[in-house]
Amino acid sequence: MKRLIILAPALLLSGCLTFGTTAPVRHKFPDVPPELLKSCPDLQIANETDKLSDVLKIVSENYGKYHECRVAVDTWIEWYKTQKEIYNR
Amino acid sequence: MFLLSFVPDALIQLIVNGILIAGIVGSVVSFFFGFFVRWMPWIIPYRMLLQILSLVLLIAGVYFKGGLGVEMEWREKLRIAEEKVKIAEEKSQQVNTVVQKVYVDRVKTVKDTQIVVQEKIVEKEKIIDAECKVPKEAVDILNEAAKTPGAKK
Repeated sequence: MKRLIILAPALLLSGCLTFGTTAPVRHKFPDVPPELLKSCPDLQIANETDKLSDVLKIVSENYGKYHECRVAVDTWIEWYKTQKEIYNR
Repeated sequence: MFLLSFVPDALIQLIVNGILIAGIVGSVVSFFFGFFVRWMPWIIPYRMLLQILSLVLLIAGVYFKGGLGVEMEWREKLRIAEEKVKIAEEKSQQVNTVVQKVYVDRVKTVKDTQIVVQEKIVEKEKIIDAECKVPKEAVDILNEAAKTPGAKK
């Protein structure tokens, strides 16, 4: 009887080990808007011409493409910062 | 423990409390055996059995009670964590919608500006081309600069 009483605390304490597990909760990685998954387009190549206006058109089109690409990169940065903040909260 | 999640909490608590109370009552009876024997003389032959059984029930009851308490604590933590994740996922989705709208608006602004610039070039075409002829070499250099470095030809 006395031996059993001595054994009891050891058995009781072992219960603490049995139940200590990690909570199975997963935070799904958020999907990025599909528009941002497109890569930047190649720059336009000028046809053979001696007219400055034709060259200017190509150059300005290429500037436009750069600006579009910059918008995409800036949006990516904003998206990442905001999502990181939400994830870490 | 996994199977326990299918059993209602109230039923588990009832069973655990039942085992614990039975263990306590049995232990009290076996501890003050001489006192109880006056009213229940028929338990005399079961003394040893009662002692062992009540001790086992008491130990099991305390063990399960502690385990159940920890289990309930974990379930509560899990519920809170799941709630937090749900809120975070909803916020992520809202952010995506806002980001998508901002992106579309910005690209539209870029495209609108582009159209205005192209129209200006067409409008001033004669003035631009009047005094300047672009040599072939200049166009070649410009094209070379426009090509993506390292890209396959």
